[in-house]
Amino acid sequence: MKPLTWGIGLLVLAALAIMPFFVTSYIVSFTIQTFMWVALAGSWNLISGFTGYVSFGHVAFFGTGAYTGALLISKAGWPWLPAGLAGSVTAAALALLIGYPCLRLKGPYFAIAMLGLNEVVRALISYFEDFTGGGSGISLPPILSIEPVYYAMGLSAVSVTLLTYVIITSQFGLRLLSIREDEIAAEAMGINTARLKLYAFLLSAVFPGIVGGFYAWYASHIEPLGTFPLLTTITMIIMCLFGGKGTVWGPVLGAVLLSVFQELVWARFLFVHQALFGALIVAVVLLLPKGILGVLQERYRLPRAI
Amino acid sequence: MRDSLILEVKDLTKRFGGVTAISRCSLALEPRRIYGLIGPNGSGKTTLFNLITGLEHRDEGEVRFKGERIDGLKPHQIALRGIGRTFQIIRIFPELTALENLLVVARSTGGAARRRALELLAFVKLDRLKGEYAGNLSYGQQKLLEFTRVLILDPELILLDEPAAGVNRTLLNDLLEAIRGLKEQGKTVVIVEHDMKVVMGLSEKLFVLDYGEKIAEGPPEAIQNDERVVEAYFGR
Ligand SMILES: Nc1ncnc2c1ncn2[C@@H]1O[C@H](COP(=O)(O)OP(=O)(O)O)[C@@H](O)[C@H]1O
Ligand SMILES: [Mg+2]
Repeated sequence: MKPLTWGIGLLVLAALAIMPFFVTSYIVSFTIQTFMWVALAGSWNLISGFTGYVSFGHVAFFGTGAYTGALLISKAGWPWLPAGLAGSVTAAALALLIGYPCLRLKGPYFAIAMLGLNEVVRALISYFEDFTGGGSGISLPPILSIEPVYYAMGLSAVSVTLLTYVIITSQFGLRLLSIREDEIAAEAMGINTARLKLYAFLLSAVFPGIVGGFYAWYASHIEPLGTFPLLTTITMIIMCLFGGKGTVWGPVLGAVLLSVFQELVWARFLFVHQALFGALIVAVVLLLPKGILGVLQERYRLPRAI
Repeated sequence: MRDSLILEVKDLTKRFGGVTAISRCSLALEPRRIYGLIGPNGSGKTTLFNLITGLEHRDEGEVRFKGERIDGLKPHQIALRGIGRTFQIIRIFPELTALENLLVVARSTGGAARRRALELLAFVKLDRLKGEYAGNLSYGQQKLLEFTRVLILDPELILLDEPAAGVNRTLLNDLLEAIRGLKEQGKTVVIVEHDMKVVMGLSEKLFVLDYGEKIAEGPPEAIQNDERVVEAYFGR
């Protein structure tokens, strides 16, 4: 990246860092959610945008992190920050368990298997009532100030974006792309595709686990239905595709634009909100399959690391 | 004897449902030679390459590379041991640039790998297109790119599945020169090619497949006059 890009980036970061002192708590809450979506869409990008293996159950890692955080806070008395970070461990463990067999599946079969994973995890959590509170979920003490969560979520979003940059500028990143482009050719050229897919999958599970943990603390209450909705996965996917899969800034752009869009439409047209969101999904898939940055990249020959 | 062979295929058989694509096929390749593999359409040439490189799993028989069994290894393991290949139907990475297509498979990532990649691109006259998405290159250029992508792995044995098809005349001569050059560098090449003039001119020894069986082997002059070969090609 050029010095100018770094300069602008640092300015934006500095502005975001001091923002909570100057804006209403409504704006701070909105930004927390947006950070969360940046982290989620960016994580989905790491497996699906790079390798082409579409994960339809990515919210499972978010939910696993949320329950890990909530249980550590409520049962083990952990402070929220380490409890949230610990969500990465369980999410990564789940990714390892499920990724090893499922990443052998091709195309739609992987997508469906991931969808199934999400349902299984949710069902298990509902089943072990004594431990997880079953359908009624877990309540945590209300949080007194949201600023710490703001910074924690913000750092998660920045970390995912930096991680994506590091990956895409490395041979590892190129190799993930080669799996998306032609897995058989990649394999025949000496690339251990099974292992690289698993690495990407693990990395893609870490931050959803973390922001899931933070989210549990932020929301003060979690229950299975609200924590594992398919809509969350779909939103990650749409954000990433809209901004541009396989790019650094695509998920950021998509998450910010769609969060703003949702907020505006949600506030004004509560009833048509779902329909508009659905229409947007169709429009993105039909008109902008490569996403905003994908199109710009191709038209203006932008470097890969945008 | 055995150790002096670079590749040894023994009684290899591969069936697809009712079709026996490769039938008790045996070959022995010595290092530093150029071999031709010919046979009518559907005679099993591509399948044989797929079996050697691990993309298909054999039903019977064995494959040895430098004396060691490689049937049963994963394709990437076989590639890293030193067997490179191209595909009859091009398999480049279309949304990677020409240069990235080479860097992505290079064994190291330093300046040396980059220099080597640029050198290879220059060699097939693609250096000026290094930043172009491979999918935007012409058919012939994509074939040449795929050829250089094999070379960056520096394999000892190179399997070329119809490398000349669709490559224009001027580049074709460079390509043939390059293939001869590989032998000078100590490599072994097996080339599948439909253009008899090309394959006869290039190969020191030919193997002929028909319905998955090896029906003849020998120097080009002998093959041209072999009755079974003539019949396989023209007799039906
Ligand atoms: N994946 C496959 N599934 C079923 N049949 C196949 C497959 N690959 C090749 N075959 C069959 O095996 C035979 C040999 O094909 P192939 O190796 O492509 O021949 P060649 O390369 O000599 O033209 C053909 O009859 C072909 O139809
Ligand atoms: Mg063929």
